[in-house]
Amino acid sequence: MRPSIARYISISLLILGWLWLTLGGYVSDLFLPPPNQLYDALIELLNEGYKSRTLWEHIASSLFRVLAGFGSGAILGTAIGLYMGYFRNINSIFAPFIEFLRPLPQLAYLVLLIIWLGIGESSKVTLLFLAALPVSAVAARDGVRNVSAIRIRVAESLGASRAQIFMRLIFPSALAEIFTGARLAVGIVYGTLIASEIIAGTNGIGWMIFDSGRFLRSDFVFVGIFIVGFMGIALDRILLVVEKRVVHWAGK
Amino acid sequence: MSRIPGNDIQSILLGGLAILFGLTIWQLIGSLGLVSPQLLATPSDVWLAFVDIIHNGYRETTLTENILATLGRSLAGFIAATILGVPLGLWMGRSLATEAAVDYIIQFFRPLPPLSYLVLLILWFGAGDFSKVMLLFLGAFPTITTAAMAGVRQVDSRRINAAYSLGANERQVFLFVILPGSLSMIFTGLRIALAAAFSSVVAAELMAASNGLGWMVFSASRFLRNDVILLGIILLGIFGMALSRSLVIIDHHFIHWRGKD
Repeated sequence: MRPSIARYISISLLILGWLWLTLGGYVSDLFLPPPNQLYDALIELLNEGYKSRTLWEHIASSLFRVLAGFGSGAILGTAIGLYMGYFRNINSIFAPFIEFLRPLPQLAYLVLLIIWLGIGESSKVTLLFLAALPVSAVAARDGVRNVSAIRIRVAESLGASRAQIFMRLIFPSALAEIFTGARLAVGIVYGTLIASEIIAGTNGIGWMIFDSGRFLRSDFVFVGIFIVGFMGIALDRILLVVEKRVVHWAGK
Repeated sequence: MSRIPGNDIQSILLGGLAILFGLTIWQLIGSLGLVSPQLLATPSDVWLAFVDIIHNGYRETTLTENILATLGRSLAGFIAATILGVPLGLWMGRSLATEAAVDYIIQFFRPLPPLSYLVLLILWFGAGDFSKVMLLFLGAFPTITTAAMAGVRQVDSRRINAAYSLGANERQVFLFVILPGSLSMIFTGLRIALAAAFSSVVAAELMAASNGLGWMVFSASRFLRNDVILLGIILLGIFGMALSRSLVIIDHHFIHWRGKD
């Protein structure tokens, strides 16, 4: 079977199944709303917002948290990682903490941050900062370690200083891995954000999903999930475009 | 500069000293009364809480029960996703039609934070263990499937053709060329998926559970038991490291040819 035909059949089956289940009355609207209800819900959210805030305000507050937490965590993490890759002793000192923090479920320390910083923005942004930091640090460290030793020797024998080698050779060579780490980090930060909004939020798109779930507005839940999905894809694409521009030599 | 991460004595010593230094500072901050014990329990408090919970349990649950609940849920979801995801991914890698029919659904799920559809799963399946395992399954499945598909695709076609021209049949090519060739990527996918599942299980336990380490941390926070919160965090960190380490060990055992290709 031709792949394109297989895809059309699969998509039509999916949509027909959805229509048949919902409009045929086999599943209650509460569990799976029909397509037209989702459309109405989207229009309603766009026109009236959700709980005294517009849809755009919820999206903006989620995006602000992601950018603040990811930005600060990725910058500091990358700086630490560059040092860890360049100086072996610094790596030995920081590695135990980074390796502990990295696989630790982010939500586990959310409760501690809430006790320390309150339930507002600062605890969420700190949470996302801590989620991005170890991932960026490990990526930058591995990036520095993978710089070819021959190139460094060549630069040394041509009389480059340590600072020059770092700025002109090691940092640019590590950039590709730093960006890979950044994309990984933004995915983790985004997942953590949605979870933290669900557990301790008063606004944001994750909170909107959770709150409408409590009021059994499953049409809003579905629309919210789609928005979260598209936002996640968009964040990743933006980083990919930035990466292509900055590391234009990758793969050549 | 391409050094292998050092496990030599100097680095272990320095790492150990750094941990010891961190613990001392932490203990001093508490003991000198710089921060109220309500906000930060000291390492000795955490140790006492650990001993207490081992003997008396925490709010009618034993520590073993909570650890087993968290590990059991993560592994159940992860193993189910492996059993279904690896064969599907291999099939998608071999057949363009299968990929076209299934891939767009998987690629929609893959970047979606699992917690966003937890609400829906609770609505459909209730707040019990099934919806949690389902959540972890759905979180791990797209990653594993995509990795298995990508693994098949990156097997060198010259090797496949060489095997065919030496008289191997479909089954032999699959078992002896394609499967071993994609194993290394499958394992990378499994490691990412397991780490993500372990993160999600804690989030799910915070929302709706009556046992598990995530529940213990969340419940302790409502009673301002700072020592129990920190104990839970440390245990989760240790088990997180142990889970990812054990997959690395299995990986090195099975794929002994990694990096020697």
